[in-house]
Amino acid sequence: MTKTYEEINEKIKNGKAVVVTAEEVIEIVKDKGAKKAADEIDVVTTGTFGPMCSSGALLNTGHTKPRMNYKRAYLNRVPVYCGVAAVDLYIGVTAMPDDDPANKVFPGKFEYGGGHVIEDLVSGKDVVFEATSHGTQCYPRKEITATINIRDLPSATLLNPRNAYQNYNVAVNAHAKHPIYTYMGILRPNFGNANYCSAGQLSPLLNDPNYRTIGIGTKIFLGGGTGYVFYQGTQHNPEVPRNEKGIPMGGAGTLALVGDMKTMSRRYIRGVSMTGYGVSLAVGIGVPIPVLDEEMIASCAVSDADIMAPVWDYSEDYPNFQGKPIAHVSYAELGSGRINLQGREIETASISSMPMAREIAQTLKKWITDGNFLLTKPSAPIPGTGSGVKYHPFVERPVKGNK
Amino acid sequence: MTKKSAILHFGSDLVDKPIISGLIRNYDVSVNILQASITPEEDGTMFVQIEGEHAIVQKAFDYLRDHRVDMIFPAKNLIWDDKKCVDCGACVAHCLPRALTVDGSGKLQFNSERCIACELCIPACPYHALGSVSEHLS
Repeated sequence: MTKTYEEINEKIKNGKAVVVTAEEVIEIVKDKGAKKAADEIDVVTTGTFGPMCSSGALLNTGHTKPRMNYKRAYLNRVPVYCGVAAVDLYIGVTAMPDDDPANKVFPGKFEYGGGHVIEDLVSGKDVVFEATSHGTQCYPRKEITATINIRDLPSATLLNPRNAYQNYNVAVNAHAKHPIYTYMGILRPNFGNANYCSAGQLSPLLNDPNYRTIGIGTKIFLGGGTGYVFYQGTQHNPEVPRNEKGIPMGGAGTLALVGDMKTMSRRYIRGVSMTGYGVSLAVGIGVPIPVLDEEMIASCAVSDADIMAPVWDYSEDYPNFQGKPIAHVSYAELGSGRINLQGREIETASISSMPMAREIAQTLKKWITDGNFLLTKPSAPIPGTGSGVKYHPFVERPVKGNK
Repeated sequence: MTKKSAILHFGSDLVDKPIISGLIRNYDVSVNILQASITPEEDGTMFVQIEGEHAIVQKAFDYLRDHRVDMIFPAKNLIWDDKKCVDCGACVAHCLPRALTVDGSGKLQFNSERCIACELCIPACPYHALGSVSEHLS
């Protein structure tokens, strides 16, 4: 039996939709088979929560009196991009205060940055805004220092160029004789620990590996509020080799997401400080997958044992963009707390939070079950395998005239 | 057997006295010094775990009290703020005595009995959810 978006939405409106999470569906499909499960279940909800560095907020302050065209601006001393229209601002989550000591005393703490500003805004805290300008005849004002609050902003939009990576690396320190401080956390020497960052069987794009239902216009849970997929994310790479189940063997698809920050909550939008590395933002995302047919529910039944992640050395190979994965390990092994690598037992640590991912999938399930969240059919798909869309490294060409 | 952690504060008149040495000689206890420092004002602070028979550990603390050592008994050696914790597990691989673990559902568990206050977990937490007792005290 196949179902349409319209039929599923009709059931949701009537409070009759059967919704399960991407974890709950695994056992159901195992017990009843995909065909029966597809008949009974209408929607599968996914979830993920972890640091996502390609994120930021597009803020509009409203025009000042007299008018001003911001050219340099700060929120709580964190620099904000103002190379757009007069009172539009974009704050990236990895931005740091100009006077942050960074790694001058190594490893730096990176206590506060763009991600923390966004967390403060979402929390409803006051934030100090400072800006300067050269002044023009239509925008004469040259400086402003003021307290702002999200409730006073005409608009505050979370606008994330790359989130929800479909699978990701496992990071180890194979060669350095000292701990290394990376965006994947602290890696102790001699394979002291293996850090990973994916919600595995709960992760949105791992449950829809060929992007059949997750596309442009898909309505989602974003940071505790509602948001949308607006495009494939940057570095979207559907051509990454896949295993026999069609699951990419490394970071592949990505999503660009947008949503109204005023609907979000601090529980799912958290500033992140990675010692020795920098600042970021942990984002909570949940994507509903309509069970259109048997094939769709079969892909939602993917389990951690079927998803393989590449183990990369972050002491030499990753930074120098060289070499190849040391091995591939499953998320079932990673989740057990240890992996076996070249005969060694290595303790694992997750950078993304499984309990939060579960909570998000459950929350989205409740929204849909209660009839408060309808599904949207994508207005266009994001590129899949064979589309020609492919990520590649920087093509570095010398500047003409330079020796 | 009992193991009890304490932050000991030695006034400037005490820092040159072999108080811990006396403690070990007079009582059958193991003393594990996790942290020790002397301030420019010549006050001393020491973070210790004292282990032994319950009654003897009590006597050992009485001895310290008799020698006018100020004591604070932290409920936990490490301050874990579960309001900031998101249960990611980034800390667990850095906790060698396995005081920080994740349970079957992935929730973080802190067993203060196992904590040796090495503080290796603190910089591993991206959410400032782990803090040291000493930082808290200062």
